[in-house]
Amino acid sequence: MGKRRNWSIPYILFLAFFVLMPLFLIVYYAFTDNSGDFTLEHFRHFGMQPEAMHTFVFSIGVALITTAICLLLGYPAAYILSRMEKKTAKMMVLLFILPMWINFLIRTLATVALFDFLKIPLGQGSLYFGMVYNFLPFMIYPIYNALQKTDHNLIEAAQDLGATPRQVFFRITVPLSTPGVASGIMMVFMPVISTFAIAELLTINNIKLFGTTLQENIYNGMWNYGAALSLIMLLLIGLTSLLNSGGNARAAEEGGLI
Amino acid sequence: MKKFNFSFLQSLFLLVMLLSANLFSGKCRASDNDRQQVLKIYNWADYIDEDLLTEFPAWYKEQTGEDVRIVYQVFDMVEVMYTKIALGQEDFDLVCPTQAVMQRMIHNDLLQPLGTDFGATPNHMKNMSPFILDRLNDFSTKGKNTADYALPYMWGVSGILYNTSKISPDEVKSWGCFWDPKNKGKMLMKDSYWDAYAMAAVYGYRDDIASGKRSVYSVTNDHTAQDIALVENQLKTMKPNLAGWEADFGKDMMTKGEIWFCYAWNGDAVWAIEEAGEVGVPLSFVVPSEGSNIWFDCWVIPKYAKNTKAASYFLNYLCQPEIALRNMDVSGYCSAVATPEILEAAIDSTLEETVNLDYFFGPGNDSLKVNPVQYPDKSMVDRSAIINDFLDQNDEVLEMWSRAKGDSLFSGMIYLIAGVVVLLIAFLIYRFLQKIKSKKRRMGKRK
Amino acid sequence: MMKRILSNSYIGLLLLMLYAPILIIVIFSFTEAKVLGNWTGFSLKLYTSLFNGGIHHSLTSALWNTLIIGAISAFISMFLGTVAAIGIYNLKSRTRKAVQLINSIPILNPDIITAISLFLLFVSLGISQGYTTVILAHISFCTPYVVLSVYPRLRRMNENLYEAALDLGATPFYALRKILLPELRPGMISGFILAFTLSIDDFVVTLFTIGNEGLETLSTYIYADARKGGLTPELRPLSTIIFVTVLVLLLIINQRAAKKGS
Repeated sequence: MGKRRNWSIPYILFLAFFVLMPLFLIVYYAFTDNSGDFTLEHFRHFGMQPEAMHTFVFSIGVALITTAICLLLGYPAAYILSRMEKKTAKMMVLLFILPMWINFLIRTLATVALFDFLKIPLGQGSLYFGMVYNFLPFMIYPIYNALQKTDHNLIEAAQDLGATPRQVFFRITVPLSTPGVASGIMMVFMPVISTFAIAELLTINNIKLFGTTLQENIYNGMWNYGAALSLIMLLLIGLTSLLNSGGNARAAEEGGLI
Repeated sequence: MKKFNFSFLQSLFLLVMLLSANLFSGKCRASDNDRQQVLKIYNWADYIDEDLLTEFPAWYKEQTGEDVRIVYQVFDMVEVMYTKIALGQEDFDLVCPTQAVMQRMIHNDLLQPLGTDFGATPNHMKNMSPFILDRLNDFSTKGKNTADYALPYMWGVSGILYNTSKISPDEVKSWGCFWDPKNKGKMLMKDSYWDAYAMAAVYGYRDDIASGKRSVYSVTNDHTAQDIALVENQLKTMKPNLAGWEADFGKDMMTKGEIWFCYAWNGDAVWAIEEAGEVGVPLSFVVPSEGSNIWFDCWVIPKYAKNTKAASYFLNYLCQPEIALRNMDVSGYCSAVATPEILEAAIDSTLEETVNLDYFFGPGNDSLKVNPVQYPDKSMVDRSAIINDFLDQNDEVLEMWSRAKGDSLFSGMIYLIAGVVVLLIAFLIYRFLQKIKSKKRRMGKRK
Repeated sequence: MMKRILSNSYIGLLLLMLYAPILIIVIFSFTEAKVLGNWTGFSLKLYTSLFNGGIHHSLTSALWNTLIIGAISAFISMFLGTVAAIGIYNLKSRTRKAVQLINSIPILNPDIITAISLFLLFVSLGISQGYTTVILAHISFCTPYVVLSVYPRLRRMNENLYEAALDLGATPFYALRKILLPELRPGMISGFILAFTLSIDDFVVTLFTIGNEGLETLSTYIYADARKGGLTPELRPLSTIIFVTVLVLLLIINQRAAKKGS
């Protein structure tokens, strides 16, 4: 199996070309101004603009709450699914993913219509509904697969040793599912910060997330500033990834989605 | 095991089929290698009669003896088009920006002049209403005559689309209805910083305009630091009353009867009034008395275009009255072409009120029975000015816009969130350090 | 028993929440109103209009493009991701962690940044954009998900089986086919489904890699259309048909699998 190390080469090359190179281009734009000279102006600009900073922190807040809701709703769902028989469970999981096949704009406008129908005004409530709606499947999927893999021998052994169901759950099942939870959080937290369409449509632009700031700047010709903003986001990504994988050895080893 | 091999091979087979299907279709497209025989048009969706795209090649062949094939693409936001051309140097031959973006493109040297030599073909571009051409020439930059670079396509005015059963015409006669707390939560504003700036500036300086101290044009387009500050103030006081900033779905919400009034362009208003009428919601449109703005979309030829000849011919083709009428039908807007045929088609003798359109169609046309929403009366147009792009002050205005639009968050909440984040990071760092410590201990033990 | 009812109804409630907006689309596909949310009486006019070409021909080509691009990207991502996962599994710890970090970047990056950066990449390299660039872009943000689907299966797999096969005289390739790939297959399939889902719903990345030869996918078509005249009403029956078709397919596959099981 050791020889298969070089199987990773095609993908590493692919990553280098399609992920790292574009990244360097972003870095280039972030550190230069219109005439191509090196400058730190854009970062200073961000630091001095309280409004951008506020939006950024607020988006993190929204992302935290969304992730928490997805976790609270998704974990029990994943747990229940993992206890069903395999065939039904697989079908159920696919049912959770199926709404994603309807185009995003259409299903978001339908959500607006739904809220109109229920006479609920658009605002924070609809924002969180929309966020959870779009990201819940991404939380359920990895947790379900992590729970499904749980070695039942361990659970039986614990039960033989006299553990109560609650102890089994909290001491065995939950810790073993941590890699799934970590994947789920990864796939929900960062994307929520950078989504702007959900905030735009479901709060009629009343609530502004960092994704909107990004889009505004890039679309209105301030590419360098937009690139700087995205670098700041990347820093956040890097920080959380490093800390996450460093702090949770199993998640790093498993390193997986499912 | 057999089952597995089969499905693996099956998927491989499918992949090969798909790839070859893709390649074949690609080959068919690529067979027409001559770029001079392709005309690439980039336009808004639903903004042109698409049958024209199949009829033009025949006309072109007739006029010049050359073949052409049209590649038509649509964009959802004009900023995407601008980004693709400015950042990506895409070789579209014809694009249709709003007048502000057109000015930005001229200013940044992204355009080529329109062709004027059509040989034996008559030049229909002179069908343009002089009124619109004058508005074009109001703006000029770097010594370039705007009319050389842009051909107006559709135009209109901005105003207020309102529900007559929910709010009276008297109230919406002034932009002030947006600042009236009585209407809180029942109004929408466009998510466009050009429109927001113009409207806030006109309302903010209404006294100066009324007394003649400043013109609507100056207020809308001077962009001095004082102007920007005033606009920011106005927007901030208006924001609490808004239900939101809509990009395109405002007219939908109006037809559903939940919003009482919104900022709208007259072309959209024509559509909305009709659609709402079908579900029994009475809408109407007005241009407020303080003043408003004129907008138009125009065709331009980007610098990187490769087939400027066909592009110019296409523009010529579009200026023919019957073609312009067809486009007006499909898009619902008002064409910049002003020939007697257009005038005739616009007249609806069932209407009672008349509209003064001598500014557009020429003298003698001061009481026509046309749809007053689609063709604004002279009085409306006289108090409106075109919105210029912010050009060098774009950064400032954008910043101001960000502040005005997004500044609704309590500082307290921000600090709370920041606090939670710091705690989380601290927790993660703590765990990180613990892992390192235990690793070190394990390493130490092993030795 | 009680637990069963409770847990089933919890799942049912969640699914209800997820499908409520879709139900709205289905219901309102049976009315003529232009705006989603207005009801002007029961009517099948939109369905007939959809099939009689009442809408532009480009919608069908957009739909076709979306499906093909989705299928090709998903397939290639699946193969690339599986090979990559096997390779990454065998890397040394430090390299492996670095590759995994870079692998997670497309997942965590805002999609507008991925879009603009790929756009800049293709522009600066002078690659003419179109079908190929869209597929490449989709592969670049789909493959990480496939890697994340397949990799844990490798981790969990019992290496002894593989070694045993080799000891019994199998060639490494034979052992790969008969031992390794069946283990990975569930991960490959879920990776494929995820990649396909992401690809057909993508907008911004597609928008900026689509070039200027008139290529359209369902997303770019719908967004451009919505901006100028409100959402085309015919999209409601189209979505309904797509949804019902996939649902029925799902049920059929499930039934056949259940039959085979018994």
